[in-house]
Amino acid sequence: MKDKAALLLYAAAVLCVTLVHDIRFLAAGLAATLLFSGRSAPLLAARAGRAILVFNGIVSVSYAALALLRGAFQPEFLLRMNLRVFLLTYLAFLLVSRVKPFRALSFSPALLHLFTLTYGQIIVFRRLFDDFRLALKSRSPARIGTRDLYRNAGAAGSFFLEKALHSSTEIADAMRSRGFFRDPR
Amino acid sequence: MHIPDGFISPKMYVPAYVAAAGLWSYGLGRLRRNLDDEAIPRVAVLTAFSFVLMMILLPLPGGTSVHAAGIGILAVLFGVWTAFLCVSLVLLLQALLFGSGGITSLPVNALAMGLIGGAAAAAAYRILRPLHERAALFAAGWLSINLAALVLAIALGAQPSLARSPDGTPLFFPFGLSVTIPAVMIPHAIIGVGEGALTVIVCGIFARLAKERGS
Amino acid sequence: MIRVEGVAHAYHAARPVLEGVTFEIAGGEKVVLLGCNGSGKTTLLKILDGLLFPDAGLYFFRGKKIDRRTLADAEFHRDFRRRVAFLFQNPDAMIFNPTVRDEIAFGPRRLGLEGADDRAETWARNLGIAPLLDRPPFQLSTGEKQKVCLAALLALEPEVLLLDEPTGSLDPRTTGWLVDFLQDLSVTTVTTTHNLSLGAELGERALVLSEKHTVLYDGAIEGILGDEQKLLEANLVHIHRHRHAGVEHRHFHSHDWE
Ligand SMILES: Nc1ncnc2c1ncn2[C@@H]1O[C@H](COP(=O)(O)OP(=O)(O)O)[C@@H](O)[C@H]1O
Ligand SMILES: [Mg+2]
Repeated sequence: MKDKAALLLYAAAVLCVTLVHDIRFLAAGLAATLLFSGRSAPLLAARAGRAILVFNGIVSVSYAALALLRGAFQPEFLLRMNLRVFLLTYLAFLLVSRVKPFRALSFSPALLHLFTLTYGQIIVFRRLFDDFRLALKSRSPARIGTRDLYRNAGAAGSFFLEKALHSSTEIADAMRSRGFFRDPR
Repeated sequence: MHIPDGFISPKMYVPAYVAAAGLWSYGLGRLRRNLDDEAIPRVAVLTAFSFVLMMILLPLPGGTSVHAAGIGILAVLFGVWTAFLCVSLVLLLQALLFGSGGITSLPVNALAMGLIGGAAAAAAYRILRPLHERAALFAAGWLSINLAALVLAIALGAQPSLARSPDGTPLFFPFGLSVTIPAVMIPHAIIGVGEGALTVIVCGIFARLAKERGS
Repeated sequence: MIRVEGVAHAYHAARPVLEGVTFEIAGGEKVVLLGCNGSGKTTLLKILDGLLFPDAGLYFFRGKKIDRRTLADAEFHRDFRRRVAFLFQNPDAMIFNPTVRDEIAFGPRRLGLEGADDRAETWARNLGIAPLLDRPPFQLSTGEKQKVCLAALLALEPEVLLLDEPTGSLDPRTTGWLVDFLQDLSVTTVTTTHNLSLGAELGERALVLSEKHTVLYDGAIEGILGDEQKLLEANLVHIHRHRHAGVEHRHFHSHDWE
């Protein structure tokens, strides 16, 4: 219940942040969000800042350069854009740190099941994938050749493809044996 | 290669959500008819597969590298609808579980990458396959990325005319099509080469394994 | 040869997987790294192979500190990679070359050793996989893949071999073969396992990681095999009930072939 409410609140906040264009309101929204998140605020803010740094940096700098050239530079635009992007990113990290969003999906067992399965598989795959990268590093010089990197990526890709197809059959069988499917075949 | 949160105005993302939602339910329905019981596990594992593909770093000339997208591989092997569903689900999980990617830009990213990129890959593969298998796979990878990038460039470049304040200041994204299209497309012409190469390698190994199993 | 001082590591800030780990390994030693699932064995091996860097503490190999900075030096990196080899628990993660021959010759070629192709032939023969040399490694059985990976590492003629649960997915006969093979190698080895009786055959010295991710025991392997208290603490044995002809009793147990 709490998760569902949090998810709805998040969705409403996101919608507001994209509908409101007044910089003062956006700033007030950010202040309120920071206050609401309490002691985790600095950590979340740092994460959000890091996440948007590159893209916003590029857009901001090129906007400033182009606009100054044309003599149409508007600092409000830069402020509004960066404020909004930061707030949205911060809200996403706040949501993730506070709730398990898929619990909010309990209204649809099929969807919930899909999410849980996918998440579990992702965690397993992600860790295993790391080993492919490390195994190549372990037998390579400091600078790994492009060809080797592609071969390694290809081997990882096809390994996970095989693994995915194999797991899919196994999961379906396991579900079947536990009577997950209503209509018997 | 996706648009982050905060650059797409609600004038675009709300209709995009509506359109994407319809297509998601159509796609899932189609898959359930074809795969029956196995549809959900299949989408789950292929989404994890798609997630892993997006973790792969493709080295590019000049010492840089970018993350792969893997759309070509999914679309060639499993069709457009699976590619669309899996890519959408990856984007959703990235937004809701890892807080990265963007919830407002999600439908635009999903439609561009999964549906349009996937359709481009599947079409390119089908047309070119009789001529040359590997070239067809390469084209599928290259085109999927480039068409998706084109759609994203258009979505971004449309923002200044779609959403601006009364005095004409853009509200979400400052650059029009004349900037976004070259800025996005020129690097993607090269990124596409990496994606094409990955598609050839992964599908090649997979086909060889499938042949040996005699299936 | 290897010196580890107060090494700590965590993947997520709140959950340490290694804490204050300190030990030394001399050249030629055969060390068995024991610990239950999740105790941090694999993480420790990755640190010893310079793939992961500890959050705190130091690692010295042949007296040289191993960290991001020292490994950034191309010559030092190459030398270190030649001397230390790591067999991953999942051999699939290591295999990516088109043929077994290329797979075995890969390390020697890239790390600039002479006679890479001869080395491939030699080590394939030593491991009994010469007939597979021109096959693509992807389609081999797990046991065969394991041998290919081992050949690929031994072709480097390393000084230290790190083996992560090398018998984990092998059948009994291949396990027996591997144990014998490893015993005859004159290389420093660090082998992880949570299998007690196998541990005794894989080395003479045991290093035991506790569930709290610290070193619980460091010494002769016989010393830990008899220490029921420590074994329980490390979650390497358990107690459970047995019924023999109606008489129930409890005793220590290790389920070695699980
Ligand atoms: N890449 C990773 N990311 C996050 N956690 C990890 C990762 N690898 C291992 N862990 C966690 O660290 C702990 C120790 O893992 P590991 O070193 O693999 O132990 P062992 O090999 O003794 O089973 C486990 O709890 C495991 O879940
Ligand atoms: Mg392990």
